[in-house]
Amino acid sequence: MTALLKDNRRYLTITLYVVAVVVLLALFAPVVGAQRPARLVQSGITGLLVGGIYALIALGIVIINKASGVFNFAHGWMMLLGGFLFYSFFTVVQISPVASAALALLTVLMALTVIGWSSLRDLRVLGAGALAAIIITMLLLVEIPLLRGIVGAVCGSVLIGLAAERFAIRPLIGQPLFAMVLMTLALSEVLHGIEQMIWGSVEIPLSLFAGIKDLGLPVPIRFEMFDSSVIVRTELLIAFALSLLAFVAFVAFFQFTSVGLAMRATAENQKLAQSVGLRVRVILGVAWAIAALLATVAGVLQGGATSLSLNMPLLALRAFPAVLLGGLESVPGALIGGLIIGLVQEYANLLFPGTQAGTELAPYLVLMVVLVIRPDGLFGQKRIERI
Amino acid sequence: MRKLSLMLLLFVLAALLALPASAQESLPDWIEHTACDVDLTGETITIYHFGDISASYAFITQPLLAGIGDAIEYFNARGGACGAQLAQDNRDTGGDLAQTQAHYDYYSTLDPKPDLLVLYASPDAELLRDQVAEDEIPVMISAGSVEGLYGEDGQTPGWIYATNPLYVDQFGMFCRYLGQNSDQFPDPVIGYISWPGAFGEAAFTPESIAYCAEQGVTVLETPEYFLPTATDITTNVQNLVDAGANILYTNTLASGPVAVARTLVDLGLEDDVRLAGVNWTLDTSVGLLSRTALGSDGLPAVNGIIGSMPFRWWTETDQPAIQLISSIADEKEVAAQNRNIAYLLGWATVDTYIELYAQTVNRVGSLDAVDGAAIKETLDSLVYSPLGLYTLDFKGGEGRDDTMNRLATMMFANADMSGVATSGDDALKLALPDGTEAYLPVVVPLTDFELTPDLRPGGADAPGM
Repeated sequence: MTALLKDNRRYLTITLYVVAVVVLLALFAPVVGAQRPARLVQSGITGLLVGGIYALIALGIVIINKASGVFNFAHGWMMLLGGFLFYSFFTVVQISPVASAALALLTVLMALTVIGWSSLRDLRVLGAGALAAIIITMLLLVEIPLLRGIVGAVCGSVLIGLAAERFAIRPLIGQPLFAMVLMTLALSEVLHGIEQMIWGSVEIPLSLFAGIKDLGLPVPIRFEMFDSSVIVRTELLIAFALSLLAFVAFVAFFQFTSVGLAMRATAENQKLAQSVGLRVRVILGVAWAIAALLATVAGVLQGGATSLSLNMPLLALRAFPAVLLGGLESVPGALIGGLIIGLVQEYANLLFPGTQAGTELAPYLVLMVVLVIRPDGLFGQKRIERI
Repeated sequence: MRKLSLMLLLFVLAALLALPASAQESLPDWIEHTACDVDLTGETITIYHFGDISASYAFITQPLLAGIGDAIEYFNARGGACGAQLAQDNRDTGGDLAQTQAHYDYYSTLDPKPDLLVLYASPDAELLRDQVAEDEIPVMISAGSVEGLYGEDGQTPGWIYATNPLYVDQFGMFCRYLGQNSDQFPDPVIGYISWPGAFGEAAFTPESIAYCAEQGVTVLETPEYFLPTATDITTNVQNLVDAGANILYTNTLASGPVAVARTLVDLGLEDDVRLAGVNWTLDTSVGLLSRTALGSDGLPAVNGIIGSMPFRWWTETDQPAIQLISSIADEKEVAAQNRNIAYLLGWATVDTYIELYAQTVNRVGSLDAVDGAAIKETLDSLVYSPLGLYTLDFKGGEGRDDTMNRLATMMFANADMSGVATSGDDALKLALPDGTEAYLPVVVPLTDFELTPDLRPGGADAPGM
């Protein structure tokens, strides 16, 4: 009997999965069947749109993990910082040329010296840096709030990302990963303090999408389906589209660029990557800058859809299941994981009203089930440790 | 010569000592504290308070700090509490109960132990209820969960005293209002939508549901809860509307009511479903945050929200307290977002401290003899209206909350400030740097102050369960 089970283990596992799925379907079928089709569609749309935000947050976490193997607990605070930076540049009536130039110079300086201060000896590098700083300064001085907001937030977040890597993470290269993870926890507290000191604790409504109606777009988009009205929140749709764009860009980045490939190699083994000539410091710097940028995009979009508040970093906790579900190193996994979590959350809210199943239980339950079946997540790399 | 110098020095010293006394302003006649039998000049009375000033409650609690600070300054310039100077000492919990515990441990082990603490939120009250009783430190709070004030059985008054009505009683009073105005609200069905947690869930109890049923109001048995960080709550709102709700009641604050109102507008239900809520839903913060969520009439989506207003409000300018506080707020250039319920509560809290200490010191003979038990004794027998903003009456120690309440609605001022706006076109709009416009919220009372129903478990108005 035991031998029979051993020989057919694979088939037995598949059979068990199939039985589990059938049982689940049988359990849920009456609940789902009782719903109006329009509600199922509505929850599906809402789940996908909310999942888009989760996916964007998850992507930022995955990028850093992919490059350094570190799970960044400061990502939520980086999100909020990006949102606040955008708000400040977006709403400021007049920005001081000196402040603009200082921000531009600092960002360019940090970017140029990712490899080391010696790069400043190269006149061509210096010239390119100066040109970039001038362009950024000029863009910051343009009296178009949206452009100023974008340029300011991009500069600020890249600066923060590079600074975090340079002064907090880089000194820990070669140390146990756990030290870096703890450093991200410390970083989150530092960012929390800075944000509270500068922007205060009171919620700030970010009127990012206030002009949508002026563009002739319906707010929200409303259409009839199954004799009922179904809505799509325009601002969330825009956020979703931007999330998808970001994913396409990053999939291409990792597939087709040498930096992307180097990031993957660095994630495998920093010491080994360094020994074969890969510039680990550059790769880490780029990863943190990109992650900070992604965090900013997520923060601005979420802030526009709701408001900027010190609660926002908690949203990153909602993205953690998405990251783990998709696989810690997988870019497509972050997207799929985010969307699945969004959908699960909304459908649980729909099918089990009054239970808080959607917010508190379902995403984590799905995560547990998936991890039991696939410990590395849906798209994660299977690791074989040799002893 | 030496004698002359000494006399001159004494004269100068006497003049210096007399100067503050002669410069000291007096309180207006309408502020009537108990006359002090003991002069506490040279002493300091510290208002110790802690709570969330940096997370979900920040919009409410930051103005509270400002209100307490400005009131302390005002009263100190007018003799403080029987001559004692008032001071404040506060800490931020960030909405984290572990921090609440840590800060309580700090304050409760001070030497001397505080005679009185101020807390802000229901979860904190529920966490510390037993501890403050054990340590004999009475607490004043602007929150109203039954468990925090009366224990799980609803019949065991503790050491925490609320300056606003119980949330469950506020909900019951709203149902009573609906029942009394059935012409305006025919066949009312309430869907309860809130944040999870002690505060958000406080009003949804078997007693409130049964009481509402007695008033002819159906409350759906499946409440919906969403997190303050929720990006979209369409599914939650639709669940309630599909189940038959034509009124949504929310026990949230700041962005909470705005999220519900925005969703109703998005779903095209703003004319079919009314929004109502706890006293915090009528706060200035709700009106200001709603500027990015406008209804089809061009006014903020929360226009017309009904809620409790157990305090006097900024627009009641016939009230001397409102005149005084408004003038100080103008003088100090208090921002619009800080001119809210909590700023007024800050003033009332300081005024209550002065009265409490005056009464207690008169009874026990000195400030040194004042302790938590003595303050509790005073609180139990206190019948006092701090600055006339609301009335405290803890019913000889039987009560722990303010039982007088009224209902009101939030609307927005029209362009010439002569009334309320009927649409975005005639609303007063204040241009903001971000290109949006802020609308000035106005609270319009719907009822007079009246007794709230007592809906604690086993309460006088709780239907037999």
